[in-house]
Amino acid sequence: MSNWKIIVADAVAVMAMTAIVAGQSANPQAGASKKASKDASNQVHHIAMPQYPGAIMQGPNLEVYQKDCLICHTGRYVSMQPRFSKAVWQSEVTKMVDAYGAPISDADQALIVEYLVAVKGVEAPVPTAATPK
Amino acid sequence: MEDEQSERLRALARRRFISGLISVGGLAAARRAFGSNFWFPSTNSLSNVTEAGARTLVRYPQKTDLILLTDRPPQLETPLHYFQTDLTPNDAFFIRWHLSGIPTTVDLDSFRLEVGGHVSKPMSLSVNDLQSKFEPVSVVALAQCAGNFRSLFEPRVPGGQWGSGAMGNARWKGVRLKELLDAAKVQPGAVQVGLRGLDVPAMQATPPFQKALQVDHARDGEVMIAYEMNGEPLPMLNGFPVRLIVPGWYATYWVKALSSVMVLDQPLKTFWMDKAYRIPKNEDANEEPQHLSPETVPISRMAVHSIFVQPAQDEQLRVGQPYELAGVANDGGSGIRRVEISKDGGQSWSDASLGSDLGKYSWRIWRAKWTPAAKGTYRLKVRATSNSGETQVAAQWNRSGYQRDVVEQQDIVVS
Repeated sequence: MSNWKIIVADAVAVMAMTAIVAGQSANPQAGASKKASKDASNQVHHIAMPQYPGAIMQGPNLEVYQKDCLICHTGRYVSMQPRFSKAVWQSEVTKMVDAYGAPISDADQALIVEYLVAVKGVEAPVPTAATPK
Repeated sequence: MEDEQSERLRALARRRFISGLISVGGLAAARRAFGSNFWFPSTNSLSNVTEAGARTLVRYPQKTDLILLTDRPPQLETPLHYFQTDLTPNDAFFIRWHLSGIPTTVDLDSFRLEVGGHVSKPMSLSVNDLQSKFEPVSVVALAQCAGNFRSLFEPRVPGGQWGSGAMGNARWKGVRLKELLDAAKVQPGAVQVGLRGLDVPAMQATPPFQKALQVDHARDGEVMIAYEMNGEPLPMLNGFPVRLIVPGWYATYWVKALSSVMVLDQPLKTFWMDKAYRIPKNEDANEEPQHLSPETVPISRMAVHSIFVQPAQDEQLRVGQPYELAGVANDGGSGIRRVEISKDGGQSWSDASLGSDLGKYSWRIWRAKWTPAAKGTYRLKVRATSNSGETQVAAQWNRSGYQRDVVEQQDIVVS
């Protein structure tokens, strides 16, 4: 029934990987809670960004959506939206390509619209899965 | 330096994306990659995240718990209860970046604000130069996202689904943009000033975030470059080390981590002025879903608007118990002269009292005492009038959810 599935592992893995890649603490809270740091000369100001990628909504063509859309922004750009018609989602995808230069083929664009309609379309069933734990 | 910084940020943005690619089944894959000794936080140690109804509270560096809209690029909203004071605390101030390559490291030894273009004396200024070579000025001004309240538009529109918290009122200290432009000697024929910060897109193909002001506006003596916010350096996520302040105008123009001021002899051609942040060309930025306005213009001055902070959405009031309704009201630069409250859905109105006047670009706190005499549900409304005579409208909609100036209402249960 529900086409949502909360993958907490996704969030965890992204946080862990990012921490390693960035050479930071693997504890996401360590970077979040402390103040900005400065080096000895007091001139370099730095913050360590925490990661809150959230749950990925399951739907058709998920891997295309992930490959093409999440280069520039998190999945929360979709998950925070209310439900919209296919026409609205189509125009959003077109905007990403035309205005923001997203390198998405015509075929992929159609697949992504399908995903968006499935997870946030007006015709899709209301999800039963609740908030991430 | 700017190119180097840009490339570094782009690389970081791409790296964050690559790390995101291991998403589905990512935990197993990461375990394989790093071995079982690697420490993974257990699922419930995502404890910086507090789920409260539809709102997720998160904590970022130099910030307190804010409402999460998106994490990359970050968009964070201020919880309403912070709007009970004249100045919004820096750590509670909302955050909105457009591009995923945001500055997280700034070296003040190498940071320079470039002032150039159609000028005869281009300048390259350190933060110390700004603080020591130009007269410091300060102003209290409301910063408000053009799309604040977007989630209240019906029918709903796509975009950042802000509630009421994409704004904040602060005392900004810095230097007049006019003084910098005069020192750089603007040449005849200048039409606009282009503004850019340190943030970069994840891909070269994405237009870098840029805004433009007409040259006369940039030289009005009020537009400023701030290095202090409420007496402190700006938090990194609010635009450290310096950001543009455009008093009375929506915050889309308040470029964060401002690094380039370019005087132009042609209007700036950019997606961010030509396509984005545009409103229907009429007084209230109004149009109908089936009849979109054929003409649009760049958004500019803030509309007059007012909101309830008390009572909160789910608060219940008691019969016979004195209560103080309160909220904030703002306009785009004349100041607020009157706020009226209705407790009967707009049939009758009474004046609220106004709090401190911190200047025409500040918001104004309002208060109204009320002792409910009977049980029931009350429809509260609030409307503000500016010193220039503008007031709010009963209904408004536009395709992008910008410049809300609707009279807000709130149903409250008295028991």
